[in-house]
Amino acid sequence: MSVAGFIRDILPLLWSGLISGCLYGVGALGLVMVFKSSRVVNFSHGNLACLGAFVVYGFSSGSLLSLSWGSAVALALGIACTVAVISYVLISPIVFKSDLASTIATLGVGLILQGAVQLIFGADIVNLDLPVPRYSFSLGAIRISSYDLAVLAVTLAIVGGLFVIIERTRLGVAFRAVSTNPFACEVCGLNLRSVHLFSWLAGAVLGLVAALLIVPTTFLSSTTVPSFMLQAFTAAVVGGFSSLPGAAVGGILVGVAMNLFSFYVAPEFMNSFLLGVILLTLNFFPNGLLERAIVGRV
Amino acid sequence: MAVSDLAQTSKAGVSARSGHFDVAGLSMLAVVAVLLLAPLLAGGFLLYSLSLCFANALAVLSVSMLVRFGGEVSIGHSFFVALGAYAVAIVEHRLGLSIVVSLPLATLLGAGAGFVFAFPSRRLSGIYLAVATMALALALPEILIGFEKFTGGFEGLYIAQDLIPGIPKALQHYYVALAVLVLVCLALAHFRKSAQGLALLMAQAQPRAAEAMGITRSWARVSIFTLSAALAALAGALTGFASSTVSPNSFTFFSGVFLLVGSVVGLNRLSLPAALVGGAFITLVPTYLAQAGDWVPILYGVALVVVTLVANGGDLRRFLPRRVGR
Repeated sequence: MSVAGFIRDILPLLWSGLISGCLYGVGALGLVMVFKSSRVVNFSHGNLACLGAFVVYGFSSGSLLSLSWGSAVALALGIACTVAVISYVLISPIVFKSDLASTIATLGVGLILQGAVQLIFGADIVNLDLPVPRYSFSLGAIRISSYDLAVLAVTLAIVGGLFVIIERTRLGVAFRAVSTNPFACEVCGLNLRSVHLFSWLAGAVLGLVAALLIVPTTFLSSTTVPSFMLQAFTAAVVGGFSSLPGAAVGGILVGVAMNLFSFYVAPEFMNSFLLGVILLTLNFFPNGLLERAIVGRV
Repeated sequence: MAVSDLAQTSKAGVSARSGHFDVAGLSMLAVVAVLLLAPLLAGGFLLYSLSLCFANALAVLSVSMLVRFGGEVSIGHSFFVALGAYAVAIVEHRLGLSIVVSLPLATLLGAGAGFVFAFPSRRLSGIYLAVATMALALALPEILIGFEKFTGGFEGLYIAQDLIPGIPKALQHYYVALAVLVLVCLALAHFRKSAQGLALLMAQAQPRAAEAMGITRSWARVSIFTLSAALAALAGALTGFASSTVSPNSFTFFSGVFLLVGSVVGLNRLSLPAALVGGAFITLVPTYLAQAGDWVPILYGVALVVVTLVANGGDLRRFLPRRVGR
């Protein structure tokens, strides 16, 4: 393989890896926020995002109603937030007692959501596009489409908004305090439940946004979104599972690595590759790749 | 005199305590006796379902064992179950040998795979292992389909060889599965009281005390996962033997989650009845509620949430208003 050919291949691969990596990062941010505040690994994350994406499809395509895309998304956000609150309320009696039991309970919630999606929307495979005009231009070897720009814009807006909330608002200070030392927060009279609820709601929104943006690149079925969340989980592990910047960077690393692997090695062993990434990360960087780069902050 | 008195009283104490135990022991014997005689009454399909129940009960036990001794949850034990099942099928296809050879081989393979898998997360808390097992469960279907040359791809493989030629297949499947299940339950009860079992429990309950005695947490983690994976592979070998076929259809992402459901429904206990309840729940519900297909995950999810809440919630009055949290 010539050097020029290699460069012609690698630049678009890196670019599309970056784009999908942003979405894995957004998905991972939701997982990490929930984990940081309530020490629960939310296994229903993918199923909830899947339900939300199907609600958008159902209400905008005419299979249930034919609303505009925007109002369908608003409705889906409302439903996702309601479900997130319900699932937090369900596990709230045990959330302080046992991380393991609460994690198992989120699996139960995930199963219920999975069944609900199959019951309401069937096992169909559908397409759900973003309402952005089709447009693309070339920059050297890279082809940049309107979808890529939309993903970048939404990711930057979401991450920026989250950063402002966590750094600048009282809620954000409470969130940081709770994720550092829940006991001290309780002594100071902070309501842990409201901080938990905030992070669960944020997780639901982040998951839904990631799902809506990733679906146009593949298709929507009752299994694609939950298995897409494996990428988000991998990103979270690579980032150390309790670092928000780590999750974002981990997402991009995972996105690029997956693209390179599927182009140069074998596209049909994607999940095995992610398994390998998780195991190698756990072995060599138990606290995530950014362990030393970021000390303390968020 | 005093010493013999002491011995006498302690003996009395033991028998008083084990008198309580004997009821459990007797009911266990009754269950085994009923199951031993069941083939006299049960028809072919029920017998087949029951054999699968026993195999699944064993797989459920492997997950429960991980929860009990390791304090970890796995949703990827379907990987080790599949490993065992395919080991039986591949040994028969390539070498023409029956489960006399492949059952122990499957167990060893499971132990090896479990060790390799658990080793990287040996120093981390259980949630990392849980996430890694999720990747394991999702990677399984593509591995089974990808290595078509060995696994037969989508169609899978058949398992036809008998353990003892001449005895009807259904009876063989039934009794082999039952015998292995009962033996494993006895072995687990013994393991619970053995030095090794106590060491593992101690490493989980009092890590510092255990370290002081030379039992490191990471050693305990890796060894319990290895044992559990070996058990899961044994269960898989039995599943393959009892159903006479292996295919990727029986090992989707959800089969790993369902094993955990079975374990939770049996309250993560390691006894024969708990294993049977868990195994029956995940085997018979999909069989007999086949028309209600999409309701099965909902039913399992509800069971998982309800049992977890009831088992861990304790006295629910504490969560009435006036007291927040803790």
